[in-house]
Amino acid sequence: MSNDQSSQTDTLSSAERSAIDSSVASPVILFFGTSILWLLLGSIFELTSSIKLVWPFFLDGLSFLTYGRTSIVSVNALAYGWATPAAIGIGLWLTTRLCRVPLAHHKLLIASGIIWNLGVFVGVSGLLIGDSTSIPLLNFPAYSTHILLLSFALIATWAIVTFFQRQSGPLFVSQWFLVAGFFSFPWLFATASQLLVWNPIQASAQSPIAAWYAAGFFNLWLVPMGLAAAFYLIPKSIGRSVNSHHLSLLAFWSILLFGAWSGTSRLIGGPLPAWMVSVGAAAGVMMIIPALAVALNLHFTLEGHYAPVAWSPSLRFIVSGVLFLLTTWLLSAINSIPSVNSVTNFSDLTRGLNLLGYYGFFSMIAFGSIYYILPRLTGKEWPSSCLISWHFWLALSGILLGASALILGGLIQGFALQDVGITFRSSMDFISPFRFCAALASILLVAANLGFALLFAGLLWSTRRSGATPTLIAVREENSQEPVAV
Amino acid sequence: MNKLTLLFTGIVLTFGSAWVGFVAYPVANLANMEPLPDEETGGLIPPTLSGLAVAGQKVYAASGCVECHSQQVRPDPLTTDIAKQLGKRQTVPRDEIREHTPFLGEYRIGQDLSNYGARETDVAAVHRHLYSPQLVSPWSNMPSYSYLYQYRKIVGQPSSHALQGLTGSFAPKAGYEVVPTQQAEALVGYLLSLNQNYPLPESPEPTAK
Ligand code: HEC
Repeated sequence: MSNDQSSQTDTLSSAERSAIDSSVASPVILFFGTSILWLLLGSIFELTSSIKLVWPFFLDGLSFLTYGRTSIVSVNALAYGWATPAAIGIGLWLTTRLCRVPLAHHKLLIASGIIWNLGVFVGVSGLLIGDSTSIPLLNFPAYSTHILLLSFALIATWAIVTFFQRQSGPLFVSQWFLVAGFFSFPWLFATASQLLVWNPIQASAQSPIAAWYAAGFFNLWLVPMGLAAAFYLIPKSIGRSVNSHHLSLLAFWSILLFGAWSGTSRLIGGPLPAWMVSVGAAAGVMMIIPALAVALNLHFTLEGHYAPVAWSPSLRFIVSGVLFLLTTWLLSAINSIPSVNSVTNFSDLTRGLNLLGYYGFFSMIAFGSIYYILPRLTGKEWPSSCLISWHFWLALSGILLGASALILGGLIQGFALQDVGITFRSSMDFISPFRFCAALASILLVAANLGFALLFAGLLWSTRRSGATPTLIAVREENSQEPVAV
Repeated sequence: MNKLTLLFTGIVLTFGSAWVGFVAYPVANLANMEPLPDEETGGLIPPTLSGLAVAGQKVYAASGCVECHSQQVRPDPLTTDIAKQLGKRQTVPRDEIREHTPFLGEYRIGQDLSNYGARETDVAAVHRHLYSPQLVSPWSNMPSYSYLYQYRKIVGQPSSHALQGLTGSFAPKAGYEVVPTQQAEALVGYLLSLNQNYPLPESPEPTAK
């Protein structure tokens, strides 16, 4: 095991730690709480859209609930209402803990949380009335993205100031990821909004920028924030340090480099210069490197200490999230090979990969982190271990069912769309049963999210102070000596 | 990696490299495209869009058609788009200069529409499709855009614009008619304008095999 300082989670005393934790409580709870509301709303819209694909008469004939609007409401509500604020909440908490400074300016952060949610609300309303920009992941109309950027500018400024005020000492891996995420997101969002939405440049130049943004939103914003949490909470929970400093370095820099360049790998054959597509495809394939570096590093960290994954809710969610990230990147790497992509592009396989990445990786990590963080901020325990268990199994089965149906069905659909002898109608017949399974999966995910929302509300309203026993989801083995911080 | 400045510099360099390639490069090289003069007709290539079609682009965006329909023909031999007659040649950046936002699309839940105007010219048929997709293709999962049409009682003479050929459960009640709104007219104008059958030097038609 490496003894390098960058692999050690932290050396705070528990009194210092709880002082820091309670200083961030109000903004972090604000970000988490609102994000869960958007998660529910987004997944209900997702379910609506999946049903419409199977049965188009569902809620048909209403302009604001037509498929073209429900589907973008779900994507954008989940991306900006749920994932981004959840990432911000996790980021705030981790930043204060790892920089070892209690939170300053918490009114500023609360204000930015309120402004952010206002922006999302205005944006979603804009989509419902038909003001979408038609750019994937940047559908929100200009009047809402100004609000969002203002809010994030406040947050990023706070994060940078905190980093410069940190207690000196080596930077832990998670801190690299935090700096990368807090820095990349405003850069991505401001560039893409300015060039595509606020003062759009000529349409001929827009597609590479849009592709760069969409890949960056995942690889340079959600991934760094999710991995910051994973690299802190996994070793922390089992009382070890991160296995290898070198693997951490490799993972970090390869994500930044290849992740940023991989955007155009989904535009193979599209209207943009050929070199862009080649570079994108190459970078997409190279994502195998960070996929293996992250997975191996965390596996070696956990080796011999996998037992707590069974009873600790946060570990169980986070480890599943890391496995889904590995799957997402490996499958995306295969999907970046031009001869594969020419078949799969435009098929439902892309929906399957998005589900794996956004829900399988990011949401699972976010759930796991919230399970860890919230009891520490509030001094209360999760109300029901049974419900946590339900949440986990519903989410897991929803992801597995949905992703495998869409990936398998997408492959078949892709081959049918590619085959000159097969009509378009037949390609639809092939994919239909898979879309039906995907709609069932959406029901499971809505149920999972509902369970999580109930737990969250239950914890906030309950008066049960945390005693000696944290909420576990399985019986802890009697002879276990694991120093688990659940 | 213990110094914040070192970390920052590294991030700026890696992230910035992709920014230069995917943002600065297109802004400098692809954002100032002009239509080419058409020697035969004296017009422009790609031809200028009518006002109706420009209005229709907005309806297309507001309705979210791009969620199900792509608008890009990919080249031979990588794909079979051309063999499947989605278009005669690859779509290139210059094809997009008349759009506000390129409607490239990520999915083909419905067919590619890059050259829809080349295979369909009947305004009434397109209206029928948008009003009741399942009347035209019973297996379709395309939503009905009936909200772009006015369902109204016939007063005096039936409108000459009213949709014809609506049958079965889609037919209006006796004494009623379905009339396209301005938005529907614009959308159909836009759909029929989708046609990339003009020659562009940077995208030659593949020679017949
Ligand atoms: C839920 C996905 C979906 C949405 C949203 C959608 N369509 Fe479709 N569209 C389809 C499918 C599936 C077909 C093929 C079956 C058919 O003919 O209806 C189709 C077919 C078409 C066709 C005929 C294409 C051809 O080559 O014959 C046109 C034109 C069309 N759609 C236009 C539109 C317009 C305009 C919109 C937005 C107002 C739209 N569609 C929105 C799914 C969709």
